[in-house]
Amino acid sequence: MGKIIRVMKLVIILLTTAIIQVSAASYAQKVTMKQHGIELVNVFQEIRKQTGYDFLYSDKIMEQAKPVDLNLQDVGIEEALEICFKDQPLSYSIENKIVTVRLKKPGFLSRIAAAFGSIDASGRVVDSENRPLPGASVKVKKTEKGVSTDKDGRFFLRGVEEGAVLVVSFIGYLPKEVSASANMGNVVLEQSLSKLDEVQVIAYGTTTQRLSTGNVTTIKADVIEKQPVNNPLLALQGRVPGLFIEQATGFAGTGVKVRIQGQNSYRAGNDPLYVIDGVPFNSQLLPGANPILGNSGVTARYSNTSGASNPLNFINPADIESIDILKDADATSIYGSRAANGAILITTKKGKAGDTRVNLNLQSGWAKVPRKLEIMNSQQYLEMRMEAFRNDGITEPGPGPYGDSDLNGTWDKSRNADWQEELIGGTAQYQDANASISGGTDKTAFLIGTGYHRETNVFPGDFADQKGSIRFSINNSSANNRFKLQFSGSYLFDNNKLPNVDMTNSAIKLAPVAPEIYLPDGSINWGTDEYGYSSFENPIAVLNDKFFNKTQNLMSNMILSYEILPGFELKSNFGYNSLGSSSNSKAYIESNYPEIRPYLVRSTTFGSNTSASWIVEPQLTYYRNVNRGRLELLFGGTIRQDKSIGSSIIGYGFSNDLVMDDLLSAPFSDPVSSIGYQSKYIAAFGRVNYNWLNKYIINLSLRRDGSSKFGPKSQFHNFASVGSAWIFSDEEFIKEQVKFLSFGKLRASYGTTGSDQIGDYRFMSLYQPQSTSLPYQGTPSYRPIGIPNPYLQWEETRKLSIGLDLGFFRDRILLNANYYRNTSSNQLSEYTLPITTGSIGITRNQAFKIRNSGWEVMLTTNNLKTNTFTWSSSINLTRPKTLLVDYPEIIKSSAASTAIIGQPLSVIKLYHFLGVDPATGKYQFEDKNGNPTFTPNAEEDKFIEIDAAPKFFGGIQNTISFKGFQLDVLFSFVNQKGQDFSYGYRTSSPGAFGGGSYNQPISVLNRWRQPGDISTIQKYTTGYDQLQSQSDVYNSDATWVDASYIRLKNASLSWILPEKIAHKIKINSCDIFIQGQNLWTITGFNGLDPETKSSLTLPPLRVIVIGMKISL
Amino acid sequence: MKIKYLFIMACSLLFISSGCRKLVEVDGPSTSISSANAYKTNATAIGVLNSLYVNMLGSLTSPGQLNSLSCIAGLSADELSYERLAGSSILDSYYRNVLTNTTGGNSYWSGSYSKLFVVNSAIIGLTESKELTPAVKRQLLGEAHFMRAVYYFYLVNLYGEVPLVLSTDYTVNALIGKSSRDQVYQQIVSDLKNAQNLLNDSYLQADCITSYPSGLEERIRPTKYLATALLARTFLYLQDWPNAEEQATSLIANTNYFQLESIDNVFLKNNREAIWQIPSTSNTSNTPDADTFIIRFGGAPGPNNPVYLNEALTSDFQAGDKRKSNWMSSIVSKGITYFYANKYKVVSPPLGSEVKEYTVFMRLAEIYLIRAEARAQLGNLAGAVADLDKIKQRAGIPSVADTNPTIGKDELVAMILEEKKLELFTEWGHRWLDLKRGGKIDEVMRTVTPKKNNGGVWKSYQQFYPIPLVELQANPNLTPTPGYQF
Repeated sequence: MGKIIRVMKLVIILLTTAIIQVSAASYAQKVTMKQHGIELVNVFQEIRKQTGYDFLYSDKIMEQAKPVDLNLQDVGIEEALEICFKDQPLSYSIENKIVTVRLKKPGFLSRIAAAFGSIDASGRVVDSENRPLPGASVKVKKTEKGVSTDKDGRFFLRGVEEGAVLVVSFIGYLPKEVSASANMGNVVLEQSLSKLDEVQVIAYGTTTQRLSTGNVTTIKADVIEKQPVNNPLLALQGRVPGLFIEQATGFAGTGVKVRIQGQNSYRAGNDPLYVIDGVPFNSQLLPGANPILGNSGVTARYSNTSGASNPLNFINPADIESIDILKDADATSIYGSRAANGAILITTKKGKAGDTRVNLNLQSGWAKVPRKLEIMNSQQYLEMRMEAFRNDGITEPGPGPYGDSDLNGTWDKSRNADWQEELIGGTAQYQDANASISGGTDKTAFLIGTGYHRETNVFPGDFADQKGSIRFSINNSSANNRFKLQFSGSYLFDNNKLPNVDMTNSAIKLAPVAPEIYLPDGSINWGTDEYGYSSFENPIAVLNDKFFNKTQNLMSNMILSYEILPGFELKSNFGYNSLGSSSNSKAYIESNYPEIRPYLVRSTTFGSNTSASWIVEPQLTYYRNVNRGRLELLFGGTIRQDKSIGSSIIGYGFSNDLVMDDLLSAPFSDPVSSIGYQSKYIAAFGRVNYNWLNKYIINLSLRRDGSSKFGPKSQFHNFASVGSAWIFSDEEFIKEQVKFLSFGKLRASYGTTGSDQIGDYRFMSLYQPQSTSLPYQGTPSYRPIGIPNPYLQWEETRKLSIGLDLGFFRDRILLNANYYRNTSSNQLSEYTLPITTGSIGITRNQAFKIRNSGWEVMLTTNNLKTNTFTWSSSINLTRPKTLLVDYPEIIKSSAASTAIIGQPLSVIKLYHFLGVDPATGKYQFEDKNGNPTFTPNAEEDKFIEIDAAPKFFGGIQNTISFKGFQLDVLFSFVNQKGQDFSYGYRTSSPGAFGGGSYNQPISVLNRWRQPGDISTIQKYTTGYDQLQSQSDVYNSDATWVDASYIRLKNASLSWILPEKIAHKIKINSCDIFIQGQNLWTITGFNGLDPETKSSLTLPPLRVIVIGMKISL
Repeated sequence: MKIKYLFIMACSLLFISSGCRKLVEVDGPSTSISSANAYKTNATAIGVLNSLYVNMLGSLTSPGQLNSLSCIAGLSADELSYERLAGSSILDSYYRNVLTNTTGGNSYWSGSYSKLFVVNSAIIGLTESKELTPAVKRQLLGEAHFMRAVYYFYLVNLYGEVPLVLSTDYTVNALIGKSSRDQVYQQIVSDLKNAQNLLNDSYLQADCITSYPSGLEERIRPTKYLATALLARTFLYLQDWPNAEEQATSLIANTNYFQLESIDNVFLKNNREAIWQIPSTSNTSNTPDADTFIIRFGGAPGPNNPVYLNEALTSDFQAGDKRKSNWMSSIVSKGITYFYANKYKVVSPPLGSEVKEYTVFMRLAEIYLIRAEARAQLGNLAGAVADLDKIKQRAGIPSVADTNPTIGKDELVAMILEEKKLELFTEWGHRWLDLKRGGKIDEVMRTVTPKKNNGGVWKSYQQFYPIPLVELQANPNLTPTPGYQF
């Protein structure tokens, strides 16, 4: 605090001295001065030196002073001043040896004279293509006088001195100075290339980084297309401050967890709002996708939308023009109840006026698992097993088919299989092709595009994710530009073929002495023993079981607008999305041990889901110039309905493998589940934006939301925010005094947003049918589901954000810093209940508060720029913190044992690990009294607190271009803790064996062997006796280690064919490139991957592609 | 020109002009019915009760369904053994009597209380309903009271003192404390007496109105006699011998409906010994018990069939006992003979084939043994011996009347308990519950547990399962099962 006060004092002192310069000194009364064209300010200084008279003036006034010629010899001060102030627009007065300088009040005559000397300047502001720029600012330099242009870009400025300097400026264009004349014709503005002037898409409008009052980060197509990813969200990783993205697995179609400024909701959804071309898009899929894809950060315990995978997988990244990430209340409050967790706006590519142009982008590449886990080889494995037997006092390996096949003579102990190589060591193929045609006139433009994407898998076997997509976009405007239409649509078809299980699990766990997966004749090896029984679960057999998931995503939207009066526009957005999927999961008999096949039947689970939504958003916008500023008003409404339907049916008893795709071939079938949800949503919203001379901006927004997810008592809720910005670099005193500062903006916003990410119908008391193959006595069953809560209300998040944006040296260095503090209350959460209530939880608003606060910093620099060589960098860093600040009911709630007030929400309570007891060889933990114990008590002895959330994360990007070459390199980093794999599996003790599994990481070699040994791992055992300790060690601080990493997330090298050659072969341009994703990772984490933090799921793959981009 | 565009805009926006409220009102999901509608038609109200019955059967992999007690309580007692190599640490913990409040113990607790919510909802919904046919309403209310008694009977016997939840108000039930065992038993008795009053005395068809033609009964809906049977068992557990005898007698007297069957008919569907049977809801099996107990995969106990009969049980059968030859089977693997329960015989029936076996919930043999014990305790030794001999004779072993006509009371009571072990093995945890009730548990387990658990020591508190930790954490007024406090 002291520091802040000191800084503020300093600022005040500096400001004061800059505006008013006062000093005192006293000498003679006579003045001698001889100089030509001397600035008046310097004259004052000289006079003060000679006479001791002080001068009181402001720098602003002195700007209008004219230089003077002086030839004074011992004249009195009054005479000297008389000479100096002659012909100046200034007057002065003397009192107590202080000369006060003021602006001269123009006399009646001089005013008339001025009026005669002035003119009315008029003209038209246009861009380089001669299109009018309505709303541009035209200002007389060094005065407050100015106007804005009308809809045709025309301006009319009354009473300006002929030849006065006019400053013409417009968002996104470089300001221009012109001299005033009566008829100025067209003033052409050049588009600004500064990052500050790039268009940012915000809710129901656009802005620029320069004028935005909110916290918004924009990622453009050029960044997305450098990354070989199948989900556009993955292209944002490490690039956006405040945005944390984590992929669940390395599969094409993986789940992706997205958090903007932390976790606001304890148990309800924490997903941002996705909006594609103005139409909201699902943040979670319906259940039905292959579970091995992992989820997308689901925290809700029984949310009705919590399927695996991620909906954004069904958008072609190549179709995207820009992605805008909206974080603070100012940017998101207008989305009301849906944007407490921020919003991600995706804008797709549109047709542009110009010659018809064909773009092609072809890529082909390879993907591999980037690193292997160090696990035991055969010798180490067998040693572990033998030692476990010795420790347990067991002399004979277990006989029989479920016995110890690795030791009882069934298996060849001299084998040393590298299962990681065999099962996940393959190379996946990556192919991507996109083609588009666009063109049109300034009245009508179109774009048609198509894409194909195929990614195979690192597993042995024939698996691939294939996507095909088409899209189109048409813009039209009427002859007078008052009616406008934009219509676009896209359709994507995805066919993801995967096995039912993730082979990574087997690759890590399978014993190195396990038999070959295939027999010499090519059939699957079951390691059949002398009695004819199978001895291991051959992982390759489960590859028989296939999971096909076919998804269709249809997105369409239309925007109609009509300008009723100049500046007054009626507009409406219509959107329809439909995301449907059908899945087909087959269980073949051949995947199982031959000896149990007689008891099995073939089955196929057929699933089908569709979630469709439509939205209509009529809006009225109005802008006019009020005073010297520009006022923009927006008023609108939203009507939205979502419908989800789905069903899953299992067909069984198929007579052979060939007919398993057809439900009609199943002699028996049972319904498994059904989905039938509907939600309705309605809202009215408004926004007022006032921009005073691009210097002071204030932005107010308001929304009233109603949703069918809530009971009739609290269906409606209001949200509001205020944001403001001060572009202080446009203040004259800053312009003059701090020359290296090309841009400076201070922003602040405060407001409320909400969240309704809970399942539908939680306020209703419902009975659900219970499906059985044979209904009881032929009558279907119904049972009550969950406990309804008619009092459900909105969850509310109050967001405070303060930001500073600075540009130095003509914006060559840009710095954005943000501090945010978001407090979420009235938490919609699954309140854990004891089962004596009939349910394990109820969706309830809870009084506790979660506070997310943090810093986001982004520094963008142009380090070097010559004609042939440029080098630019961008660094971003986020330091988030999620605290549980208040929880009055904690004692009475189930959270008492996990959540701690004043601590991060993600804090985990753990035992303190004391290592292995040298006497007994068992894990020891510290109990609450500080004594060692073998059996810690889950309720009392967990006193170590570890925060599992990332401490900081960010990215460092460098772009270097030299002649036709461009190199982009992005490192992303995360500082976090995670559970590593050093202690082996949680659910089995080192030394145990089951179905061929339980090889261990080599870290387990440091185990206890005999009394007195100091070791990290407890003694090997074949049984369950130590399972509790094994589980306890996973609940202790021993396994929670640093899981920080720095990853070379993306590198891209491209070369542009020189224009001459391109023209010779009659093409517009051609780029050849090589790109890589997840290339290299530095981490101390002992496990397969620090991002998934799992050693049993497929890690993010290293992808390398080569490709070519051609424009015809 | 202008008009044209305005017209387009106006038309597109026209349909938005309906009311605000309507735009945020939804009907319930198409996949459910509202609680108000559930008790408006006979069929849905019957469906609510049926949801309890289909949930009573389950498998080892989804215990919590009461019938899996046949296996799990059997492991806890001296009926079953567990194959170490099969790999389930939870089943192994039951077997070795080393449960903790984080391993096991959860199944019956959450299974029973989640169903009690359905029962209590049904009692409220049925009582308030005005639309149901009175006869149906009566029968269903009776069934609900009966089912409440069933759940509490097992809860109180598995966990000792338990919370007595009789309403659906979650604010009350979330903070509910335990009731004494006496209070729980009082509730069981009162529910069963209610059920006796309300339930029909013949087996009803699916409409809950029509009786089956005589001799063609499907014994799958609770009847008055089922409530009587469970009441007899409850009085026996309460050592209320006169009432136990009276209830048992009233059931046994109904020879029209109930007669002892021959050994090989006892577990077939609709046999005359069954008081209540639960048919399978699955196409691929007749009874879960056959799937659980019959060792077939791999020819030895393994992950799919991890349990086999304990030697302490198999060695107690006399030579010539038909129950050993009929209700048991064995398999030899690598020189070791494994016995397994084979009361239910149909495994993996061909899809679509006729169902032959239903899971028996209560049967007449138990009622004879209940009456025998009550009579013995009341000093009516001759009557007791007569009842006991009915069971022995059917099993083909010498009757007490022949071999030991002058038997004393204590010896007779012990003999009845021993007979119960042999008659009702692997059925709904009878042995585990009888051991506790008879006060013999410590004596028996002191020798059994060390064998099961590598020399581990039996502690008396282990006769009750631990209330799961998550429950204790969620309810501050709930205290742990004594002994599991740490």
